Amino acid sequence: MKIGLEAHVSLPTKSKLFCSCSTIASEPNSAVCPICMGFPGAKPMLNEEALKIAVSIANALNCKVNEMVSFVRKVYFYPDLPKSYQITQLYEPIGINGYVECCNGNIGIRRVQLEEDAAKIIRGDDYTLLDFNRAGIPLVEIVTDPDIKSEEELRTFLTELRSILYYLGIDIEGELKTDLNISLAESRVEVKNITGIRNLIDATRYEIQRQEKLIKSRVKVVQETRSYIEAKRETIATREKETEEEYGFIPEPDLTSYGTTHMARIKPIYASKIAEEYAKAYNVDKKLIAELILFDRHALELIDATKDRYEMKFILNGIELVKKYKKRDIKVGAFEKLVELIKEGSYIDEETVSKIEKGESIGAKNLNLETIRKEVNGLLTPSIIADYKKNPKAINFIIGRIAAKYKVSPKEVAEIVKKELSGQYGD
Amino acid sequence: MSSIEEFASMEKGREYYQKLVEELERLNERVHAFNNINHGISSGFPFSAKDNLCVKGVETTASSKVLSGYMPPYNATVIKRLFSKGFSFLGKTNMDEFGFGSFGINAPEIARNPFDERYVAGGSSSGAAVATSILKYHVAIAESTGGSIATPASFCGVVGFTPTYGTVSRYGLIDYSNSMDKIGVMARVAKDIKPIFDLIRGADGYDSTTTNSPITSINKKRLIVIDQLIGLVDQRIRSLFEKLLDKLNSMGYSIEHRSLDMIDASIASYYIIAMAEASTNLARYTGFKYGLKVENFEKGYNEFFTDARSAFGEEAKRRILLGTFVRSANVRDKYYFKALKVKDLLFNKLNEILKEGFIIMPVMPIPTPRIDDARKLTPLQVYKMDALTIPPNLCGFPHISFPYGYDNGLPVGAQVITSKFNDYSIINFVEEWEENFEYKFKYNIGEVR
Repeated sequence: MKIGLEAHVSLPTKSKLFCSCSTIASEPNSAVCPICMGFPGAKPMLNEEALKIAVSIANALNCKVNEMVSFVRKVYFYPDLPKSYQITQLYEPIGINGYVECCNGNIGIRRVQLEEDAAKIIRGDDYTLLDFNRAGIPLVEIVTDPDIKSEEELRTFLTELRSILYYLGIDIEGELKTDLNISLAESRVEVKNITGIRNLIDATRYEIQRQEKLIKSRVKVVQETRSYIEAKRETIATREKETEEEYGFIPEPDLTSYGTTHMARIKPIYASKIAEEYAKAYNVDKKLIAELILFDRHALELIDATKDRYEMKFILNGIELVKKYKKRDIKVGAFEKLVELIKEGSYIDEETVSKIEKGESIGAKNLNLETIRKEVNGLLTPSIIADYKKNPKAINFIIGRIAAKYKVSPKEVAEIVKKELSGQYGD
Repeated sequence: MSSIEEFASMEKGREYYQKLVEELERLNERVHAFNNINHGISSGFPFSAKDNLCVKGVETTASSKVLSGYMPPYNATVIKRLFSKGFSFLGKTNMDEFGFGSFGINAPEIARNPFDERYVAGGSSSGAAVATSILKYHVAIAESTGGSIATPASFCGVVGFTPTYGTVSRYGLIDYSNSMDKIGVMARVAKDIKPIFDLIRGADGYDSTTTNSPITSINKKRLIVIDQLIGLVDQRIRSLFEKLLDKLNSMGYSIEHRSLDMIDASIASYYIIAMAEASTNLARYTGFKYGLKVENFEKGYNEFFTDARSAFGEEAKRRILLGTFVRSANVRDKYYFKALKVKDLLFNKLNEILKEGFIIMPVMPIPTPRIDDARKLTPLQVYKMDALTIPPNLCGFPHISFPYGYDNGLPVGAQVITSKFNDYSIINFVEEWEENFEYKFKYNIGEVR
């Protein structure tokens, strides 16, 4: 199986790629100007910030970054395209020949290029609306080689890509627009315009099943362009011709060439690699640490600030609590206190974390988690466990009693009881 | 004294401008210099803008039906700069549709040569040249891609200056061929050119191709004639031109001859690049955001666009087709990229020659044609007439055209070319020439007696 992607990532710049219009606007057609509307006589001016981010992406994806980059006009007619050509790249893209390390090898990155987005089309029953707020938003197109070999690898690759981009300051969770190339047999099927990661995975799964079925019944898979229908979670053939489209590219004469060598690049951080290293070095679960840091820069910073002084398992426990109670702004000093408490085996609830974060004294509660656990354990008789299996409410009296006795929140106790029941503490 | 200084020293009130506009309206009905005239003008030195320059709130069509009714929401950079110094907008001048033409005949109304209205004004900045030729106090902001300033200036007996590519911002200029479009100035005397050039030039945050390179005025007192180009010139024009060279020689200029053997290739190169770029620039006119409104909303978008785009004139359609062809994937190397190579080659050769001195030659290889005759020419015959104006335009060298004689009552012009950024030198050259030459004009609208 061969899967390749063309993924479009919008860049988090304040202004659009070729004009000073804001990239954030709620009212339709409010962040527009003669440039992004393609009015006669208007000319593009390159947003250097977008170029810098694009170069950083290519760099993070191990591409050869071109010393000089240039733009072209890609001409086609569609109502959402203000100038009837898109300013994109062809001859000197931002980067080529890169890779992402994952799936026990490398997924090749064929090219990384910078281009402008088109307007948004809103279709009604008998009308179509256009919102040009999106026209001119900077996009980076990432084209992979067809190196992905399963749905599982696709998930892994997407997580890895998302994490690399996250650490460059780009969140693609909801926004990713992808064209998918997928072939189980000889014929290549292209699925166009898939929005979002979930849809991408659903579309891939659907295509795998569809093509498998065809192959099994010895029907030839047709080389074609298909489209993903979100509502039905399936792909359908479009009427598009399979011949190479004619875009009549010419160099964009209103822009010059741009040097990239002097440009400051955002340093890439490969969180999954770090997770692997730490898992090995500190003998902790790789999956757990990856989950905690792949999309959380603050967590990684807390770990790095404390890892030389505390045991990793306590630190990770602390990170879990920070995430659980959404205290993501906690300072290193306060976090250290939290880890101390964990080390001592203290009972820690939301109130405790809150107080630690604010630098307040945690008072005389000073409960030991072990005390509570033991008491819970004593109350969990076999008959109660049997009752619980029939009716989960059977444990409510235990929760009530403990919460009242130690003046802690029933919610917290409930969690301890449940963990105890599932044997998660694993004595 | 420049006419700008002279005008500033004149007593004039509101009535002056009223009378100016009235007289202009009347004559314009015959000569079609203006696509529209600003009736609100009431102070300041008047300038006109070629109709491919955006003036906020003023209909700007580039003489194309496709843009009928288009009111730009912004001013072109050159317009903004002129307004900031108190110059007054007099109106939009006629032109070949989108700049596609050498005689001004590819327009809904054909601009007439003021010296004899049966003759063409030249193109594509036809109206700018006519306006300059009929108005006593006025400068025209025009634009040249392949000769659109020099040609009409020469036919209408005015000075036409095309600066170095990149010195004047093109922001707000409706694009023909972005890598060659140059905004320039027409005036009745060379003295009026420099202050306007200084005002409109300089880097602009809205045009990446502009620079702030210093402008020089190096004159080596040497004029170079390129034999192959002179070889294309009609005998009558040629003998007039020989007399001009004699006169310049007596003014202290040495005349030298050089050979350059890529003239046909440069015409082809110019038209390939120009049409390729034009066909992308014209793609945006699809009839639903600005300009011509098409109301057949029940049709699919492709049919809708086709209806809107049927409003292009014949020459525009021809250039869209040819331009689309030369940039298509299977022939792009053979035409478009080869044309770029020819351009580089020509640039290097001319640049070497220009280190020695100015290049001088007639503007057009033929005497001013009658409108009827110009209409009979095939497209290829018309394209070939640009042989003399294409080399400096293709390469972005500054050049200036100036009248040096009158033949059958019609002006005849020559052009002088220099190295990039040496723009002042050729303006000075024409100023020097003017000391021994008397301009003739048929109309002097705005003159105070």
